[in-house]
Amino acid sequence: MPKASSSQKQRSGARGRSGGRKNPSVAKPLAILAAVVVVALGAAFYLQRRADDQAASAPASSSRNTGSLISPQGWSKGNSQAKAVLVEFVDFQCGACASASSRVANIARKHGSRLKIVFKHHPMRRAHGNAMIAAQAAEAAGLQFKFWEMHDLLLQRQPEWAKVPDAQTIFLRYAAELQLNLARFRRDVWSREVREKINRDILEGQMAQVRSVPAFFLNGKPISNTRDEVEFEQSIVAAIRSLQ
Amino acid sequence: MSTNPWSIRVMVLAGFAGMVDSGYVGFHSLTGLLIPCGPAGGCDQVLNSPYSHWGGVSIAWFGFAFYLAVTAAGIFGLSGFRQVFRFSLAASLAAFLVTLYLLYVQAFILQAYCDYCLLSALLVFVILGAHLALRPWTRPPESA
Repeated sequence: MPKASSSQKQRSGARGRSGGRKNPSVAKPLAILAAVVVVALGAAFYLQRRADDQAASAPASSSRNTGSLISPQGWSKGNSQAKAVLVEFVDFQCGACASASSRVANIARKHGSRLKIVFKHHPMRRAHGNAMIAAQAAEAAGLQFKFWEMHDLLLQRQPEWAKVPDAQTIFLRYAAELQLNLARFRRDVWSREVREKINRDILEGQMAQVRSVPAFFLNGKPISNTRDEVEFEQSIVAAIRSLQ
Repeated sequence: MSTNPWSIRVMVLAGFAGMVDSGYVGFHSLTGLLIPCGPAGGCDQVLNSPYSHWGGVSIAWFGFAFYLAVTAAGIFGLSGFRQVFRFSLAASLAAFLVTLYLLYVQAFILQAYCDYCLLSALLVFVILGAHLALRPWTRPPESA
């Protein structure tokens, strides 16, 4: 400090010689601080991007039938051999996803023999604090062959768990209702396998430019108007016919 | 007040490391992607728990603000503005209490640990230790 102050004193002339306590300059530490903050933020951003790139370069499954960006792999229903593949990106905590699930169920009922419906996770974690744990709960149930049962429970009873601080307790109750092995469910919810699977879906959605949920892709092409049930069904029927 | 520059340098280094650590977690919270986790293994459980956000903002950004303040205090302190340590000591004490609470949450409520949070806790302890070594509550020695 004395060294810095004396050089400052020489630079500032009369102000420095006026006696009393030396007045250190604010400019130099401010400049150093700005540089340090820029470097720290840059390092944090670089590390975060590198981690994401590594995750994105994880081996992806084949993309047959659905275009180059979206794979037809995942939880599916309908005809697994169908040429028409409808991929849905869903956030269990989104209200629109809950209401769309009945439309999808209706389509599966009517056209399931000629259509494969594939489920992908796309939890919007910034907006929906419980979306990720809900996705994990569905996947954990899936490991005990009850994915769709948990999927339906989560969407039907969304208001019950969407805003609570400890949704996991409610999901444990659902798991008990589905007669799952609770110890295994509790372990699987936070398993690396489950989290990595959801992460792959999220990355796939990001690469496919999914900006909102639910998002639907029919053979790799996005369906724009999914809120109108009639139009939604018509576009799917048209796609099924064009592939026959 | 002690004028030991080593304590201040440790404070700046810990503040810098804390900014990188909390900035990394903060950027990850913005992307919504899962964060890679090290030996502790519970990063997602901790960072997606309701305790990870205050008022909708990831607590990593509050941590970033704290580390930024500490780094600023250290840099200004090295340039002669020693009185700033009284404020950064108060901030460090508050951060220490918050850290104890977050460690309690990880150990007893979530029963999961996050590497980034543990590193942050260590840095807070180091920063508080550096402040205590400086004894900013005492009068600074008169310069010759």
